[in-house]
Amino acid sequence: MATTDTPTSIDALAARLRAILSDEQVVTDRQELRTYECDGLAVYKVIPALVVLPRTGTECAAVVRACVDAGVPFVARGSGTGLSGGALPRADGVLIVTAQMRRILEIAPQDQRAIVEPGVFNLQVTRAATPYGYYYAPDPSSQQVCSIGGNVAENSGGAHCLKYGFTTNHVTGIEFATPDGELVRLGGRAPDSPGYDLLGAFVGSEGTLGIATEVTVRLVRLPETVRTLLAGFRTTDEAGAATSAIIGAGVVPAAIEMMDALAIEAAEAAVRCGYPAGAGAVLIVELDGPTPEVDAQFEHVERFCRENGAFEIRIAEDDIERAMIWKGRKSAFAAVGRISRDYIVQDGVIPRTALPDVLRRIAEISRERGVRVANVFHAGDGNLHPLVLFDETIEGQTEQAEQVSGAILDLCIEHGGSITGEHGVGMDKTKHMPRMFTDDDLDTMQLVRCAFDPQGLSNPGKIFPTPRLCGEVPGRHKGVHPLQEAGVAEVF
Amino acid sequence: MVDGPLDALRAAAGEAARPAEDADAVAGVPARYVAAPASTDEAAAVVRAAAAHDLAVVVRGAGTKQDWAVPPRRLDLVLDTRRLTGVVEHAAGDLVVVVRAGTTCEELQEKLTPTAQQLALDAPLPGATVGGTVAVSTSGPRRMIYGTVRDMLIGVTIVRPDGAVAHAGGKVVKNVAGYDLGKLVAGSYGTLGLITRCAFRLHPLPAATALVGQRVEGAEEAGRLAAAVLAAQVVPSALEVDAPPDGGIEVAVLLEGVPEGVERRVTTTRQLLGGDATVSGSPPAWWSAYPWSSGDVGLKLTATLSRVPALLAAARAVRVRYGAPLAVRGSAGTGVLYAGLPGVTDPDVVARVVEELRSAARGAAGHAVVLTAPAAVRDRVDVWGPVGGLDLMRRVKQQFDPDGRFAPGRFVGGI
Amino acid sequence: MTAQTPAGDGVAAPKGTQVTSAPRDVLGAVGRTPGEPAFDDHHPPQLDLISDCTHCGFCLPTCPTYVLWGEEMDSPRGRIYLMNSGVGGEPMTDSMVQHFDRCLGCMACVTACPSGVQYDRLIEDTRQQVERRHARSARDRALRGAIFRLFPYPRRLRLLRGPLRTYQAVGLQRLVARTGLLPRLLPTLAALESLAPPLSRPERLPERVPARGQRRAVVGMLTGCVQSAFFPDVNAATARILAAEGCEVVIPRRQGCCGALSVHNGREAEAQRFARGVIDAFEGTGIEYFVVNSAGCGSCLKEYGILLRDDPAYAERAAAFAAKVRDLSEVLVELGPVAERHPLPVTVAYHDACHLAHAQGVRAQPRQLLGGIPGLELREVADAEICCGSAGVWNVLNPEPARQLGERKARDVLATGAQLLVTANPGCLMQVAASVQRIGGTIGLAHTAQVLDASIRGLPVQRLLTRV
Repeated sequence: MATTDTPTSIDALAARLRAILSDEQVVTDRQELRTYECDGLAVYKVIPALVVLPRTGTECAAVVRACVDAGVPFVARGSGTGLSGGALPRADGVLIVTAQMRRILEIAPQDQRAIVEPGVFNLQVTRAATPYGYYYAPDPSSQQVCSIGGNVAENSGGAHCLKYGFTTNHVTGIEFATPDGELVRLGGRAPDSPGYDLLGAFVGSEGTLGIATEVTVRLVRLPETVRTLLAGFRTTDEAGAATSAIIGAGVVPAAIEMMDALAIEAAEAAVRCGYPAGAGAVLIVELDGPTPEVDAQFEHVERFCRENGAFEIRIAEDDIERAMIWKGRKSAFAAVGRISRDYIVQDGVIPRTALPDVLRRIAEISRERGVRVANVFHAGDGNLHPLVLFDETIEGQTEQAEQVSGAILDLCIEHGGSITGEHGVGMDKTKHMPRMFTDDDLDTMQLVRCAFDPQGLSNPGKIFPTPRLCGEVPGRHKGVHPLQEAGVAEVF
Repeated sequence: MVDGPLDALRAAAGEAARPAEDADAVAGVPARYVAAPASTDEAAAVVRAAAAHDLAVVVRGAGTKQDWAVPPRRLDLVLDTRRLTGVVEHAAGDLVVVVRAGTTCEELQEKLTPTAQQLALDAPLPGATVGGTVAVSTSGPRRMIYGTVRDMLIGVTIVRPDGAVAHAGGKVVKNVAGYDLGKLVAGSYGTLGLITRCAFRLHPLPAATALVGQRVEGAEEAGRLAAAVLAAQVVPSALEVDAPPDGGIEVAVLLEGVPEGVERRVTTTRQLLGGDATVSGSPPAWWSAYPWSSGDVGLKLTATLSRVPALLAAARAVRVRYGAPLAVRGSAGTGVLYAGLPGVTDPDVVARVVEELRSAARGAAGHAVVLTAPAAVRDRVDVWGPVGGLDLMRRVKQQFDPDGRFAPGRFVGGI
Repeated sequence: MTAQTPAGDGVAAPKGTQVTSAPRDVLGAVGRTPGEPAFDDHHPPQLDLISDCTHCGFCLPTCPTYVLWGEEMDSPRGRIYLMNSGVGGEPMTDSMVQHFDRCLGCMACVTACPSGVQYDRLIEDTRQQVERRHARSARDRALRGAIFRLFPYPRRLRLLRGPLRTYQAVGLQRLVARTGLLPRLLPTLAALESLAPPLSRPERLPERVPARGQRRAVVGMLTGCVQSAFFPDVNAATARILAAEGCEVVIPRRQGCCGALSVHNGREAEAQRFARGVIDAFEGTGIEYFVVNSAGCGSCLKEYGILLRDDPAYAERAAAFAAKVRDLSEVLVELGPVAERHPLPVTVAYHDACHLAHAQGVRAQPRQLLGGIPGLELREVADAEICCGSAGVWNVLNPEPARQLGERKARDVLATGAQLLVTANPGCLMQVAASVQRIGGTIGLAHTAQVLDASIRGLPVQRLLTRV
């Protein structure tokens, strides 16, 4: 594992990195280092010992190599917008920032592929592909700034993943710097490379198996027609029932999003989206595809909404109106800041059919603890984003909010769901992993980690609550784990 | 006579453990024992027993792919999944099903049809089990729109070679907690452990389907039609080409959706394929079947979309050069083709054909893999071809199966 | 209203979650950089504004320096972070100042921010702190001194024009000798010179221009510094348009500089002096609106209330004055057009000046006015929210990155294929002119006012197509 973080060893590493890269690509000024101490989850802050900004895959691998030689842990960071602390630095480690690896290397519409560097913003891929009639489907709400490399690390989704899948369904190849400091290619432009689907294991591994330096993605043909509607309901139950009716009828919308009254209030305050007044819930339903398919299915969607109590339905007539409908939803997280001093954004998943039940339980928990919860979620796939609101200056509210947040995750697990649908485990949910997985489950996953990162230097401390000593025999540990004894790990 | 391993297996699986017979040989390699556990726990006990006695294990479902890949270097135990059957849970409202790995795909579909849902995987080998389908990751024409096993598997239960039971994923489609082990075991040919249970995301059965087909002379024309269909916005569920050895290529497009939608898209597609394109409510006879029979040589060729015509042209060149009746068939919509040669073809000829096709595939940024072949041919060819990231793959195998007992030697790089 | 982080620095936690079990900040124990705290009590960046930042990063893709360098400390999010650490007691180091200085002040981040962070307030408060409290290098001081001896004074600026330049060399020498300023200005001046026709003598505007037809309003007009020195015809066009639309225009000869460049560079006292001068110049003129045809100036004038908030003698008047300020396009749309528009068959790429679009939120009005001209085809420029790199005198202080930004903008503008680039800021016009020339392109350049004026007067399109 890591050597002691004496100034001398870091200084030596810094000097070596300056020689490998250039002075301006190595940051050592403490004030500057501080600006990198957190990602989108600003509550966790750790100042890295060093920040480096490689410009090519070769440089990135060389940086990793240098870290490994020095026994220094490293953490990768793209745009620093993650919501689980996956890019939280190590105080004794190097933060490798990919923001300067941001070229779009190739758009190949004839192969439905694009090849990009990891620092490219998600939306830039779509912008580059659109003139050819294609786009990049995974669309996290932060897509204007989140990086493709970050998307790969987290297996990011977005509103349209209901129909189109997640990052892992759209990455066909990568070049990455292994935790040994080698550059390895997995997959490519063509599908089904022989051997293990290591690429499938890599996507979503949150930077613990290496750093992507080049990503080959699948492009999707722009749909002939997109139709979007916004429906106002009096209650979330009604909106949920409408969702069930739509899905139950065999319609596969491109997206179904729901917001409750509190979330609507926030969005209104932020972007003045003008959602139906008095709505206890809104549904945004989007269909895309061949025009006759969309037209036929859209009629059904409208009908289901009305039959389930929609008191107002708005249909976007053009791109501008469509953007307005989405604006409220896409800015919901940040908008919540206007109606509450502080908030926790959760990311749980439940089977969609459990939605009414879970929402009711969340409302109960919220009432019992006196903590407001605004709900924004991907109604189509049961991915909830409860926003737990509180004011940290009022005594006890922080703890209450944390408890409510944890209780909601418990609810998700109780209902056979997941502790994270999109944001990843990162730093934030490691303690919840044992609620979802057994020791054997976590052990098995870590076998993969040991294969890639036997020294445990690639983003250590993320995902798994108890790191596994590579080389030990798999299976249950009797008594105290050696790492617990060493005071390095705790069992939650 | 005391048979330590057999006793241990019987202790784990009762009467479902027995000595192997000739029919239990895997790709010509004889086995010593067969065990057919009925549950994950029983399976874990069997695997533990196997570990304790250093038995080499190969998993068998319906046995449809036993003679695929490379024969195992060692074989002691055939782990039969025929008793690991049944749907555990079908949450129709969530479009999710949890099913035991020994269930055949047909059985599973029977259970799903009443709710108008499907596991949208084509079955090129009838009778195959769910587990076998996942372990080898077979697919067919509709992968173009639905993806393959890796895109549908949302949760998996495996028994590791050391007997530990592990779960990954869950029962919800949206899940990024932990590593995606489902992806790792899909297509792993049983070398990382035994799959006992799978959770899949389902799709609704379409209300209407139609096939639009066109016959063309050669690869270039087939490529032009395919490109035209891809550039249009009809969203085909499949775009297949069939190039039998005696010449000509058939291009077929599958459209699915609501009746009015399918009707209009059929019209558009007919225009793209040429006015005399045929329309049918059901697919051609060759649809979703490999272009070879049991005992033949079967290859999988991959390419970028724009280079599929080049692969078809290479196939034609091979036919001409060697007089070999190479049949090619597959998805021009995803760049995955299959090629077949009769089993009696001279192994030297096969070797040269493989080399040429592999070279063509490489030029198309893809690969050529010999999926199945008679023993004489297997000895003469490099079945798997070049594999990127092999070192890492070996390390993964080493972690999961340090003693190399699960399907040893069957996979890439001698894994 | 201070908030505590788990590390207990006494600084605000950017808005977001709070947990009691955050990991230890190991280096926190090492202590902060030695030196006195960055900010004093005179309008430091406000903690409650800083706390509005949720650290979401939506501002990064629109920030020109992040676009150029991809470094957190030269992004709005990072700069807010530095302000926060300064408020928490970190000293004002050269590094910190460099990152504040590198901010263009384009306010694209304000537009992009979903949480409503008032970065404009924050950076202005920060800049005046820097200006007062940080010891700049001698070279830097000399250069800035030269800039501010020159730019706020139209008569001195005119010394830089055309044949007069060499004639007045001695005068220039006195002002800016050995400061390195002239060489930095030369490329832009060269581009400017090729904007035919060069004026032999600046048009003199009368102090009162009567309204044509029915008088609908009495408005004051800013003549400005760079505008009046380099583009006096824009001022003339502005006066004509206002008159044609029924405004009586009041144009006191001695107005002085509005103070925009000073405010945007933290020279608070200087800016306040200029502001008082402008307010005094228009005292008792009975104007209902104060019309500005330069985006940078307009955004500063609208904040006179804040600039003079500490001056009891001017605070109220300044606020009242600020409330009357309108960009030319705003007031024209507000009044509604009455003067006939004659056709101008021309393709136009409209460039949003940052201080008009981001700082003032004025985007629709110029487009509406241009759209109201028959035959005029409006084209949008890609990446419109990214600054052209002029940013007041930022391009003089940071020539290399300004060049890169200028080239991006020039390429995006030329990509529209439009015949004419129209914008509402003299700085943008000069920057884009120089950049287009540098990459070997060619396009006509005009101020919004010149286009409207040509349409109202029925002039031929050719008059607008002065080419770079």
